[in-house]
Amino acid sequence: MTHERDSDDDLPQVPLFDREHQRRGRAMNMMAMSLNRKVNRVLFKRDELAYLERYGLSEEQKRAVVNRDWREMVRLGGNLFCILKITAVDPYPITKIGADQRGMDHDDFLRNILGKRLPAPGSEKAADQEMGA
Amino acid sequence: MARLIAGLGTSHIPSIGVALDAGKRDDPEWKPFFDGYEPARDWIADAAPDVAVVIYNDHGLELSFQRTVPTFAVGAADRYAPGDEGWGVRDIPAFDGAPDFSWHLIDMLVEEEFDPTICHELDVDHGVQVPLELFWGRPDAWPVRIVPIAVNMLCFPIPKPGRCFRFGKVLGEAIRNWPGDEKFVVIGTGGLSHQLQGARAGFNAPEADRAFLRDIAERPETLAALSREDFVERFGSEGAELIMWLVMRGALDDAVRTVHAHYHVPVSMTGAGMIVMENETVAGASGGERASAEAAGSVQAGRASARTA
Repeated sequence: MTHERDSDDDLPQVPLFDREHQRRGRAMNMMAMSLNRKVNRVLFKRDELAYLERYGLSEEQKRAVVNRDWREMVRLGGNLFCILKITAVDPYPITKIGADQRGMDHDDFLRNILGKRLPAPGSEKAADQEMGA
Repeated sequence: MARLIAGLGTSHIPSIGVALDAGKRDDPEWKPFFDGYEPARDWIADAAPDVAVVIYNDHGLELSFQRTVPTFAVGAADRYAPGDEGWGVRDIPAFDGAPDFSWHLIDMLVEEEFDPTICHELDVDHGVQVPLELFWGRPDAWPVRIVPIAVNMLCFPIPKPGRCFRFGKVLGEAIRNWPGDEKFVVIGTGGLSHQLQGARAGFNAPEADRAFLRDIAERPETLAALSREDFVERFGSEGAELIMWLVMRGALDDAVRTVHAHYHVPVSMTGAGMIVMENETVAGASGGERASAEAAGSVQAGRASARTA
């Protein structure tokens, strides 16, 4: 199966949310899911680092969240459906998260991976916010 | 007797709800996708089902990732509220339940050794909301009652495709021997191909998706015989949730008639598909009565009640 990783540093082609990821990412995923509550979204926005402390994220998980390093969040056990909720507080298009995981430029990803026809570069539509799948 | 008139399948991509909220239904980017659902919406309006059993997966609202992750969970509530997934509660009505049928279904499932988790209270996410909006639009109140069935599709181990298919067979039997006179539809949600994480993020498989829309109607047992790994490889790590359509298909007759199907790729990052399959015993009976359907229903009911007595 392609979800077997070559090394711990590689993001696998198809990362299954298996027992290892569920355990490894638990604190970060629980933190992200807490953003389902409006009061928590306010607290996260007010003092993000303090909020991450409260949920017991590891140092490298905290760094990944603060840097909005989606590839690293997934590598550290983050599940897209959980960490996506961070974009409800701090908008970031899901297609850009996809591009980041491929290590690709966003427009390049939209055109060549998703096969979207893009409006002229720089137009407002190109940066349209989307929410996931 | 109650009748299962059709199985519906549809993607449940949240950006569909976002587009509707933003009034983008007729934007050039969205119009071809939404137009593809119009024949199905006409079909629904004509068939006027009373109860929709909705097979979906929770996405971090309450049954996935948190304290408990049930493999199969059946809603038994009077009412299901749309939940806040982080972006605020969407302005859509709550869904009325059909708790008497829910308990009948739970009894039958336990009788058949499926042992579902029972949900006295349950908020539902885009997995339920979006399919209802696609098939019924945005009414002031939903003209159909729902029975949500949540299947774990996010935290491995997820259930096997064959298990989902057999679960559906018990669901179909529970509908056929339900002593009410409601018309039922079963909705399988999720898919089609997509992958949102990992180095293969952005993966779509239009050919496999189109084949799936044919096979789910004509040879579902070949899909039920696939492994979970097959689904992941073929449809992507998130697209593997298509396994849930097998619950819907298992509830239907062996032979069905596809009356509508639609495919559009990509919506957000997903191959978006839809199907309406009428049960052969009631094909053409939408909006009317059919002696053969009544007869088939009675035969099934007789057999089932004899066995469970």
